[in-house]
Amino acid sequence: MNGRMRVAAASLLALSLTLTACSGTSGQASTDDVKLTVWSWDGTVEAAVEGFQEEHPNITVDVVNAGSSYDEYKALDNAIQAGSGVPDIVMFEYFSIPYFAIPGKLTDLSEQAAGFKDDYVPAAWNNVSIDGGVYALPSDYGPAAMFYNQATFEKAGVTEAPTTWDEFYEAAKKIHALGDEYYITNDSADIFMLLSLIWQAGGRPFDVDGTNVSIDFEGAETTQAVEYWQKLLDEGLINTEIAGWSDEWNRALNDGTLATQITGGWLTSTLPERAPDAAGDFRVAPLPQWEEGPQVGAENGGSAMGIPEASQNKEAAFLFLEYFTHGDGVQTRVDEGAFVPNTKILESDEFRNQTNEYFGDQTYNAVLAQASENVATGWQYPPFFEWARTAYGDISADYYSTGNGSLAEILDEWKTQMTDYGNEQGFTVK
Amino acid sequence: MFIAPFAVLFALVFIIPIGFAAYLSLFQDKLIGGQVFVGLSNYIQLFGDAKFWNGVIRVMVFTAIQVPVMLIVAMSLAMALDSKRLHGTKFMRISVFLPYAVPAIVSTLMWGFMMGTKYGLIGNLNEAVGTSIDPFRPDTTMISIGIMITWAFTGYNMLIFYSALKAVPHELYEAAAIDGATEFQVVKMIKLPALRGSLVVTIIFSIIGTFQMFNEPQILSSMVSNSGITTYYTPNLYAYNLAFTGSQQGYAAALALVMAAITIAIAYVVQIRGMKDALE
Amino acid sequence: MNTLKTPDAPRSERTSKRDRVADAAAAKPRQLYTVANPKKNATLTFVTGLFTVYCLLPLVWLLINATKSQADFISSFGLSFGSQFSLWQNIVDVFTFQDGIFSRWLLNTLLYVGVGATVSTALAALGGYALAKLRFTGKKVFLLIVLGSISVPGIALAIPQFLLFANLGLTNTPWAILIPSFINPFGLYLMWVFSAQAVPTGLLEAAKIDGAGEFRTFAQIALPMLTPAAITVLLFSFVSIWNNYFLPLIMLKDPNWYPLTIGIDQWNKMGSSAGNGILIQNLVLTASLLTIIPLIIAFLSLQRYWQSGLALGAVKG
Repeated sequence: MNGRMRVAAASLLALSLTLTACSGTSGQASTDDVKLTVWSWDGTVEAAVEGFQEEHPNITVDVVNAGSSYDEYKALDNAIQAGSGVPDIVMFEYFSIPYFAIPGKLTDLSEQAAGFKDDYVPAAWNNVSIDGGVYALPSDYGPAAMFYNQATFEKAGVTEAPTTWDEFYEAAKKIHALGDEYYITNDSADIFMLLSLIWQAGGRPFDVDGTNVSIDFEGAETTQAVEYWQKLLDEGLINTEIAGWSDEWNRALNDGTLATQITGGWLTSTLPERAPDAAGDFRVAPLPQWEEGPQVGAENGGSAMGIPEASQNKEAAFLFLEYFTHGDGVQTRVDEGAFVPNTKILESDEFRNQTNEYFGDQTYNAVLAQASENVATGWQYPPFFEWARTAYGDISADYYSTGNGSLAEILDEWKTQMTDYGNEQGFTVK
Repeated sequence: MFIAPFAVLFALVFIIPIGFAAYLSLFQDKLIGGQVFVGLSNYIQLFGDAKFWNGVIRVMVFTAIQVPVMLIVAMSLAMALDSKRLHGTKFMRISVFLPYAVPAIVSTLMWGFMMGTKYGLIGNLNEAVGTSIDPFRPDTTMISIGIMITWAFTGYNMLIFYSALKAVPHELYEAAAIDGATEFQVVKMIKLPALRGSLVVTIIFSIIGTFQMFNEPQILSSMVSNSGITTYYTPNLYAYNLAFTGSQQGYAAALALVMAAITIAIAYVVQIRGMKDALE
Repeated sequence: MNTLKTPDAPRSERTSKRDRVADAAAAKPRQLYTVANPKKNATLTFVTGLFTVYCLLPLVWLLINATKSQADFISSFGLSFGSQFSLWQNIVDVFTFQDGIFSRWLLNTLLYVGVGATVSTALAALGGYALAKLRFTGKKVFLLIVLGSISVPGIALAIPQFLLFANLGLTNTPWAILIPSFINPFGLYLMWVFSAQAVPTGLLEAAKIDGAGEFRTFAQIALPMLTPAAITVLLFSFVSIWNNYFLPLIMLKDPNWYPLTIGIDQWNKMGSSAGNGILIQNLVLTASLLTIIPLIIAFLSLQRYWQSGLALGAVKG
């Protein structure tokens, strides 16, 4: 039995990884009563827990929302440092996995998860694979896409959704011509959006090899994306006053003054709540392209679940992890509205043919499934990205509020600070 | 020993952690390699850290402006309320003190929404008059925070002054009236001297409060965008972010201790006069 | 009796005497203006009134906006009511949202405040009395350290406190909030000043001559005299623990132990975190209102204690 093999492998692993300071028993037989603690901000976790506990009545799963992702990482770090209160399963955004994995704070799952690779879109699997190990299993995905407000487009005389970045630029001018408050999109120091443009253009500014990190924003593809965005900012075509997730943002999406969002597919789940008045106006389209030829996509967000090295119940934790990200729990979560990187789901007709009134009865999942398949691989995040994105916010604040400086200068300063910090933290950063 | 329970807990809550912070400040936490003893290098780095001084200067400038303004207003209010020349004295006294009861999170939320340009009163004003006032721009955010903090603590300070004025023997006013003293003379000769002691206390508490500023910028930073609130906006915010985001706890401990030293030094300078009589 | 060293009567008595004079004067119809009851001044009333408006405006705003639905909140004028009166619905929603976790936060806050304020007041009373009336070595040094500790930034303590408590396995438990709240340096200072003033040493000595022990003397003689000050300290502790934000922010990750302040903060952040578009500003505002109502009640009903306590702390010096 495949399942039994996996459990056996897991017990071996748990035995071999017994922590020095642990008081509990490890490698417990799977019939013992176990209590698992899951840290996650994902609303679909609870739904999957029910099905899991029917299969494993001896395992109770306690789901804790430890706050925003940022708060959760802090809490996890603190718990690991304190040696108490470490959860068994934790949700991570993809960029934060190296931070925990490289210093050995996460369990390597490559043995138990051998053979899972092809069940996820390549870029998602790439996110959880670090230096030959697998440190988490992908649980949801954010393929970058273009959400656009068709009513605003029509008002501005944009008849077709832009398919290239040049067309996007032309559309931006038309939309801003509608009035001072109309913009094609907003950007207030949104690093993930900028990185998704770079990603799609083929730039790979970060290269991580063990503890060696190299950072380079000078590459031709990176420069192409940065200069393009700089042009739109310089010409005043982007609303820099409005930050994503803010009240202003909700309002502008709601009244149609922001025509598009270049963001992750997860926006589908919250857009109807944020912009109820725009029901029927929004559509989803692939990212505009940099050049002719096959479609290239990028990623903006998404997360995975991992097991901390300090967990006392690794074996049971893996059972849940497998159920949640790979087994029967996946369908339950999809029914709850999760967007997952599992190819089984993305390729199923049932999923692709789903329509939504909010998106004018568009089969929006088909667009997003395709966008997921299109995501280019080979992207890496530095192992201190959580710190780095905070630093980026500080560095870029001045430019976005006063207009002094440029993206290139910001990225340059960012690189300097990352290099200093990384070296200070024991990495070798070039 | 009556003092024992307090002393034991005090040691657990204050003394041991401070000692521990001093110990931590001599180490550096590395993601790769763990804790390394670095001696005083955290302190040396701190003195050359522009982010740190940026925050220190910001709270100092804020303190230099906000504390005098708040205390002068509080004193004037106390005298006005004490003068018995107002209609509705009691109602006003309670109203002015009321904000002290409001948690920082609630006051920041209220002011943050009210001063917001989207659904705040400022937004309504802008729509009505066609202005484009935005209280949360980098150059005005600190003023907005000043409005919140002044709102929260003026009443508290007013009550301290008011209590001090209440303690003035009534005969003094009678005597002054018989001598034909003007209102201004009464303020100068009787009321202001009576407030001296309480002024020391209020100055110290206000300085300590503003130097530790954390709640307002921390809550606002996730509420408003482009406000210029960086992760090192105030020294406390910087220490918090260092410790809990960059996992630079040793450095954060050094920063916190330096801030504590600066605050204590200032407090003692102000306090020495006030404490003299008390310790006799 | 040696009357040379009789202590001052408590300030509170004095003030009330003066108030009585004033009240008596005010009660007389058509009397002349006196020093105790001067002519009312409209300009002064107006200026002070302006400041009062500034103080009350946010509270009025909160009261009005807690009655709006989410849709009304984002669309109507800030100081007018929305299209429907949703206050009761909002309150119901606050108590039912996330399986009614708000009640849990309320109970947590009551636990932290109830236990924390009581214990800290008792410790401060014992300590303050000892500092004022008992002889022991290192008194001055102790006092200076305690007062100095008031100036230590919370963050300086928070990081090592967190690590210390984590090692003791106390983080994410109510103890992480309770233990630090037991120590109230300012309360100790108030109790010390008050003991020095209000408790006649002669009485204590007389009690001891009669054979009462140290503790009985305290409980029977000093404690009744200290009650007004104790209530003041209790009030201060009450407010500071109720409003505590920084400590629980660091110590607690389990929402089941949150106090109201952290809970509200989380709700407020909900709409602004990626992938979580729940907009519940109406609930945030209603929860805020519910959070401050108990405080305001405590304020209004126990007013005079604030004054006497603050007078003590301030007049000395």
